[in-house]
Amino acid sequence: MRRLRPPRTSRVIIFVVLAFFLLWWIPFSHVLPGVFPLRFAPYRTLQASQVAMWVIVALGLNILTGYNGQISLGHGAFMAIGAYTAAILMVDHGWPFWITIIAGGVLAGGVGFLVGVPALRLTGPYLAMATLGLALATPQILKKYEGLTHGTQGINVRPEVPPPPAFIKDWFHITLSRDEWMYLLVLFIVFIMTILALNIVRSRLGRAFVAIRDSEVAAQAMGISVPRYKTMAFAISAFYAGVAGGAYALVMEYISPENFNFLMSINLLTTIVIGGLASILGSVLGAVGLVLVPELPDLVFNRIPGVNIGAELSWAFYGVVLILIMIFAPYGLAGLFRRLVRLRPAMVLRSLRTTYSRWVGALTSPLASAGETEDGPEAKSSQDHPDAER
Amino acid sequence: MADFWQQVMAGLAAGSLYGLLALAVVLIYRSTTVLNFAQGEMAMFTTFVAWSILQWGDYWVMFPLILLIAAGFGGLIERVAIRPVEGAPVLNIIIVTLGLFAIVNNVASWRWAGMPKAFPTPPEIHVAGIKFFGGGALHIGPTVISYHDLTIMVFAVAIMVILYLFFQYTPLGLAMRATAQNPVASRLMGIRVGRMLTIGWALSATVGAVAGLLIAPIVLLSSSMMMGVLLYAFAAAVLGGLDSPVGAIVGGLIIGISENLVGAYTPSEWLGPDMKLTVTLGIIFLVLLVRPTGIFGRRVLRRV
Repeated sequence: MRRLRPPRTSRVIIFVVLAFFLLWWIPFSHVLPGVFPLRFAPYRTLQASQVAMWVIVALGLNILTGYNGQISLGHGAFMAIGAYTAAILMVDHGWPFWITIIAGGVLAGGVGFLVGVPALRLTGPYLAMATLGLALATPQILKKYEGLTHGTQGINVRPEVPPPPAFIKDWFHITLSRDEWMYLLVLFIVFIMTILALNIVRSRLGRAFVAIRDSEVAAQAMGISVPRYKTMAFAISAFYAGVAGGAYALVMEYISPENFNFLMSINLLTTIVIGGLASILGSVLGAVGLVLVPELPDLVFNRIPGVNIGAELSWAFYGVVLILIMIFAPYGLAGLFRRLVRLRPAMVLRSLRTTYSRWVGALTSPLASAGETEDGPEAKSSQDHPDAER
Repeated sequence: MADFWQQVMAGLAAGSLYGLLALAVVLIYRSTTVLNFAQGEMAMFTTFVAWSILQWGDYWVMFPLILLIAAGFGGLIERVAIRPVEGAPVLNIIIVTLGLFAIVNNVASWRWAGMPKAFPTPPEIHVAGIKFFGGGALHIGPTVISYHDLTIMVFAVAIMVILYLFFQYTPLGLAMRATAQNPVASRLMGIRVGRMLTIGWALSATVGAVAGLLIAPIVLLSSSMMMGVLLYAFAAAVLGGLDSPVGAIVGGLIIGISENLVGAYTPSEWLGPDMKLTVTLGIIFLVLLVRPTGIFGRRVLRRV
């Protein structure tokens, strides 16, 4: 039996990871000097806000792609809808920011539903291409109808936000900068959306999604309305992307059509696969990875004296990291994490050795085919499945 | 009316380009069942290698050489990066091709930094008094077409025909089709499945290399030259049906023509040239609704 609800440990981990981002800068330095030494530098605050924003959209995309098995390369478009709805309502109509974020989410969810209906007929690469088309068309559409969207010049968003509540100042003796306060607000949205996602996933709805992913015919035979739940997955997922779009407008304070090009959608898909499909923890880890992995080469290589690899090789290194994660951690960072949590050194070594020897085998022997190793894929999957969150 | 046919002609020329790269996409889809996001970058890389060879060699010496290099390159990538994730979920393999995209693209722009480079068209050859390749333009009825565009069309159709014959009438082609359809049964029948996959990637890289050589003179040689073309090629391959070489070319032509006609003949205040990509994608979407596996694609039937 596959376990349907996320194990308690992983639920705890999710909130630990989220809380880490909160705690990093909350000025415990006053309380515990030396343990939490620093607040984020302003740049890091922005980066943490970005992580939070990507977490939201990754959660949504994972519900659609990870749990329901529908590939979308078009979630940048739904983010654009959310971001533009929020920005236009805030800037041109003066709505309070929290209503505009909800409005952006709802509108994106509605469009997601409309896209989900024709998507019912498409599967696999054909669905991927159709949604990629959505992502490709988005910047053009945003530029063309500039009466509504302000065209190529974009929109400056700097909404009136209520000041941080007084207790923060009273308790922690600190004045929050605007960025830090924004970060807290977005993080608050992330917490709500994470709890929502955890509940969706382990409810009747989430079980229906998974059943459809694993076998549409079997799901139908059990009385699940396949079209209904598939469009619903699209709508929920687009709602998440729309909310994330609103957060994007809030965090970046400026949006323009080129922000929402197809590369964003591709990055989003990368995020959830690297993080771990069908895993809430994976969505969180993937978003952290998306922002931090490009910084790795800077941290690793450029610390060596006399070495300075340029931007190009840094990005090439990023590609290498992607491939290595897919080879050595096929269930993404979350899968890796799960294996590490129940660490039995011998087991880890064996599984690494199997993967490695498959790899070397494929490289060295021209006749060997990877699938033929006796205990390769089978042994690995039997280890992974019992604790996979699917 | 002359203007209309000129637009169609321009569409055919652009469409053959898309179709050529779409052929490469189809070849990999048939062997690995993924859209290869690194396809364009592999072609870009071999074109840079071709450029380096052209610094000391003749075009027609370089040409067969580059086909061999591309085949080796494609086979190597399959062995090193794709083989370890064979049997993994499709999305994992797609991420690997995205990783390859990042590697190849950035290594190329690191190695061959600087301005976009001019790349020559194939030099002309005279066979039996008829001119092949080279520059200049040709008048066909009311329309004008450049020799290079004509070269591209000829290459696209020729490669399509060669691939069709290869798959239908050679033992190797049969083995590759069998592998694509049912790897397990093929292995039981004694086909070297792993080798077939490597050959599929090698073949695809070779076709892609030809596409790169023919595109470079038009868009200038740079590390980003294939990005846009690849997306069109994906669209073409999907529209034609991902497992059909004929579909790839037909899909490419349809996209090329419809793009040109939409740009020229729709009202520019709310559609027009700015929206030609959007409208074309909309058309593809509508076609997919009627035929969910493309125009020539085989329907996937699954036993329960």
